[in-house]
Amino acid sequence: MSERDRRLLAFAALAVALPLALLAALSLGSVPLPAGGVVRSALARLGLGGPTPLPEMGEVILWSVRLPRVLIAALVGGGLAVVGAALQSLFRNPLADAGLLGVGPGAALGAVLAVNLGWAQQRFLAMPLAACGGALLALLLIYAIAHAGGRPTLSGLLLTGLAVGALAAAGTSVLLVAVEEFRVRTVLFWLAGGLEGRGYEHLALAAGFVLPGAVALLLLARPLDVLSLGEEEAAALSLPVHGVRILVFGLCALVAGPVTAVAGAVPFVGLVAPHALRALVGPLGRHLLPASFLAGAVLVVVADLAARSFGQYVELPLGSVTAFVGAPYFLLALRGQEGRG
Amino acid sequence: MSAVLETRGLWVERGRRSVLRGVDLALRPGEGLALVGPNAAGKSTLVRALAGLLPPARGEVLLEGRSLASWPRSGLARRVALVAAEDEAPDRIAVEDRVALGRYPHRGALAPLTAEDRTAVARALRQTEIEHLARRPLGTLSAGERQLASLARGLAQEPAVLLLDEPATHLDVRHQLHLFRVLDDVRHSGVAVLAVIHDLPRAATWAPRMALLDDGRIAAAGSPTEVLESEAAGQAFGVAIRGVPVGDGRERLWRFEERA
Repeated sequence: MSERDRRLLAFAALAVALPLALLAALSLGSVPLPAGGVVRSALARLGLGGPTPLPEMGEVILWSVRLPRVLIAALVGGGLAVVGAALQSLFRNPLADAGLLGVGPGAALGAVLAVNLGWAQQRFLAMPLAACGGALLALLLIYAIAHAGGRPTLSGLLLTGLAVGALAAAGTSVLLVAVEEFRVRTVLFWLAGGLEGRGYEHLALAAGFVLPGAVALLLLARPLDVLSLGEEEAAALSLPVHGVRILVFGLCALVAGPVTAVAGAVPFVGLVAPHALRALVGPLGRHLLPASFLAGAVLVVVADLAARSFGQYVELPLGSVTAFVGAPYFLLALRGQEGRG
Repeated sequence: MSAVLETRGLWVERGRRSVLRGVDLALRPGEGLALVGPNAAGKSTLVRALAGLLPPARGEVLLEGRSLASWPRSGLARRVALVAAEDEAPDRIAVEDRVALGRYPHRGALAPLTAEDRTAVARALRQTEIEHLARRPLGTLSAGERQLASLARGLAQEPAVLLLDEPATHLDVRHQLHLFRVLDDVRHSGVAVLAVIHDLPRAATWAPRMALLDDGRIAAAGSPTEVLESEAAGQAFGVAIRGVPVGDGRERLWRFEERA
């Protein structure tokens, strides 16, 4: 199969998988809705076909509970995967990821800080913006430390990310314990993620940041390709290396911050989706970034479905589900990369 | 003919050390210049300063008579291409895509690949004779083929000046001959070619002109024979260098001996 055919096939598979995953996530759950009913209910809302076949209760569950949650899952996954792909090009490392680079923990720290200082209660946007700030700070810190001794090695990068992430997570825990109405549920959310009870205002928040951020990163696809050739070659090809890096960091934080504010920590999505797709669609940003968005969306929609299908009354933390899949993948990929030297 | 790229009293610092200390060098269109010198003489620094990657501490670099500082970055990269010894491009990228990134100074971030861009990429692949590798990922190439892909990226920039830092270091003899033949073709098409070459006999065979850099200064310049037989060359490398005429007497076999 030619490289072009392989790429087209991958995009076609993703284009089929995403609507299927969305439909499955909309119809399955503690109250199952028939898939055909979901489709016809949607058509009825669009003024096509006859009236909805779903009972009133089903309509409420579908439109007020499941739809926003499922769409948020798609945006969270897509956003994290695009950020992962961009960071992998920027750090010139196929195993870079927002979670591993301390971006998630940084964003969580920013968000919790905003809640603790009371900003979040005064302004709706304070928490996601503080999360952006935390994410950006973590990225810049890791970048500065890892690049202090020239080009960072994979282990140097991962260890720096681990340390910064642990530091941010420790800060988050301390702040959460300091809150009077301290609840295990809250801590769990920031450490392991989840989409329980997320509604349209969260959807608007996620869409407002993730979509423009992802589009902007897509527009930077070629500069990211040039950057992946190495700092010197990029500069010799007239790329403003430093400026592009800062811009990409800013956009990554803009996407990852609100994603964390809405969904908590959802690890490994940003690593698995672009890493797996690179073999199928190639390393060029104009293919890899959109494919990663679609694959990340599918992954998290399915992971969230799995998280809430676990039991009748208990939800698994979304972050645990993605970690169960992502961590073994990461270990295998790491072995592969170390093996190649 | 006037110089396309030249330095005047160029000083460049790296950290606190002055690596280049008053370099005067001129490159004319179509000229082939081998830059030689002992380790740490400042060869790589000079090449990077010529490409505008390192700013002068004193003196200046002139491209087409204008100081590099006054050139917009993309305009500079459309005229001067740099090919480094180490290729750091990702293994999965296809040769043709890697070469097409050489069009970045012409296209910028958003413009699509024009017919002109495609022609330049195709020509670069043809000139380096790697058209048959166009869709192969870089990771599957030999070191020699990979270096040719790197060179093709530089040619796709359609530069007036091609700078190469140790282009033949990792290559076996067949790939070396191939590479230097390609460089001759490039030179004959009017492009000025400056290559840092470690292997002195190889440099002498290829280049019509040679410059010896020692301790941040040009210690000798001229024909390879003049440079290598100069007192400065013996001093710079700390060896005795002797050229033995062979054949019709115009070529030389070079002998190097440690000095007592």
